[in-house]
Amino acid sequence: MKKIRVIIFHIIMFSLSLLWLYPYIWLFMSSLKPSNEIYTRFWPTHFTLEHFKFILESAKKMQRPFIRAFFNSLFISLTVTISVVLTSAIISYALAKLRFRGRDKIFDFLIFQMVFPGFMFTIPLYILIRNLGLLNTYSALILPSLMSGWGIFMLTQSYRSTPNDYIEAAKMDGATDLWIIFKIMMPLNKSALSIISLFTFIGIWDNFMWPLIVMKDYNKMPLSVLLASFNHEYGAYIGPILAGSVIQTIPMVILFLIFRKYFLQGISITLK
Amino acid sequence: MTKNIRKREARKGLLISSTYLVYAAIFWGYPFVWLVILAFSRWRYVGSPRFAGFRNFLRVLYDPIFWKAFFNVLNFLMYYIPIVLIFSLLFALALSKIKYGKTFVALSFLVANISSGVAYSIMFSKLFAENGPLNQIIYKLFNTTIPWFTSPQLAMFSISLIVVWKFIGYYGLILYAGIISIPNNIYEAAELDGANKYVKFFKITLPLLNPSIVMVLVFAISLSFGIFTEPYMITGGGPMRSTLMPMMVMYTSAFQKLDPTYAATMSIFTAIFSFVIIWITRKLLEREVDIV
Repeated sequence: MKKIRVIIFHIIMFSLSLLWLYPYIWLFMSSLKPSNEIYTRFWPTHFTLEHFKFILESAKKMQRPFIRAFFNSLFISLTVTISVVLTSAIISYALAKLRFRGRDKIFDFLIFQMVFPGFMFTIPLYILIRNLGLLNTYSALILPSLMSGWGIFMLTQSYRSTPNDYIEAAKMDGATDLWIIFKIMMPLNKSALSIISLFTFIGIWDNFMWPLIVMKDYNKMPLSVLLASFNHEYGAYIGPILAGSVIQTIPMVILFLIFRKYFLQGISITLK
Repeated sequence: MTKNIRKREARKGLLISSTYLVYAAIFWGYPFVWLVILAFSRWRYVGSPRFAGFRNFLRVLYDPIFWKAFFNVLNFLMYYIPIVLIFSLLFALALSKIKYGKTFVALSFLVANISSGVAYSIMFSKLFAENGPLNQIIYKLFNTTIPWFTSPQLAMFSISLIVVWKFIGYYGLILYAGIISIPNNIYEAAELDGANKYVKFFKITLPLLNPSIVMVLVFAISLSFGIFTEPYMITGGGPMRSTLMPMMVMYTSAFQKLDPTYAATMSIFTAIFSFVIIWITRKLLEREVDIV
């Protein structure tokens, strides 16, 4: 009797999982269906790549360079992620392992910063970027995110639990601070670093409102804004729009599947 | 000698961390000052801002559109909070009971959480479309269709369902981490005293889960006040302004009506409201929990 209940419970959970995956599966299937079957059939009569072809080739003539936008997004997200990881790795070292006056004040400041929701800064930040003459440049998308208070905070917390013995030993051997950071601190705090880089990458890749505000040049747009503008003006091309959505989603899903272990850890670490 | 080393260490530490302070001064401090200036001035991007006292604040207080957007957030919260809380709690409980394929179930729910804002808004707007797949199933079963995004009563509900889809996995995992940290011997002791599973759930699990639940609520509330992509992409704020959110009002007044001072003031109001609601929630629900 109990066995049956366990089996039923598992069947329910698996069906719910599939239900949760259904929107993704539908999106992916639809991007491969002939146009007239998108709404009418789940399993198409035949698979076609015409929508992907359209979005990658023809959309260029409609001022929607999707391939370029994909690489724009990749460039912006990678630059920011690398910068955030490096600056967090170095600054957190100072905050966690070097003794100087004002250190605790700086740490308190990081916490204080996190209290303010990001949207409060949207308009004044736009004015700053405008005053610097950076509207419609990659810098407008990259500069405001080069360092992350949250990243420094998280990594400082993680560094603090790394024993000082490693650092002392390395110093005895004449190691420089940079060597200690790159060869000792970073490898020992790999999981915190992975979470910071993953969340940063996803956050920038997914960012929509900010690039929508500062980027009007179709050639420098990240994928999210270009896809939104395509959807806005050519809403009737459902197939290509769904294909574009697949292109926008897939890198994140792949990253998620590769780093799923860190994702699960990340959620438990952000709780502390 | 040691004094010298310590001095050098202090100088190095200050030097390294001051790079962040300089960066924060430019990209956080400067905007912060501008936020205050904007709130008290009149300015349309040209010339220099003119002092306007509390004019912007009064305008926000008397702006029916802003209040409409504010009540829309409350409307969203009314649907979103109970649904997402109950279902992520059920999900967390199920996850703690499941024996086979736990990783698969957890990942299926969590993969929704990394969906890209624009792409998933498009995906759901097609899925829930008037003649979309969902309505076709409903038509076959009940011979009727549901105007998910075109009815003012339903539109906000549909958007909250979509956000629920995205966040159950994430919130559920937070609650799950809380559940597995409850020591088993508490349950065993309760069983010796003859507690059944409902008593155990309501007298042990739920109270000890309080910190996690409050955290989920804080996350959910701050998310609701900052929501932009979904209503912008799916409904554009309509029908009849029923899904207009504060971020959208702010966006249009700053960049289409070219009124940044007013928009900045609205963002301050929105932030204050979200602080107040989070504060009330914590005041009402937060309990000291000690697991001995």
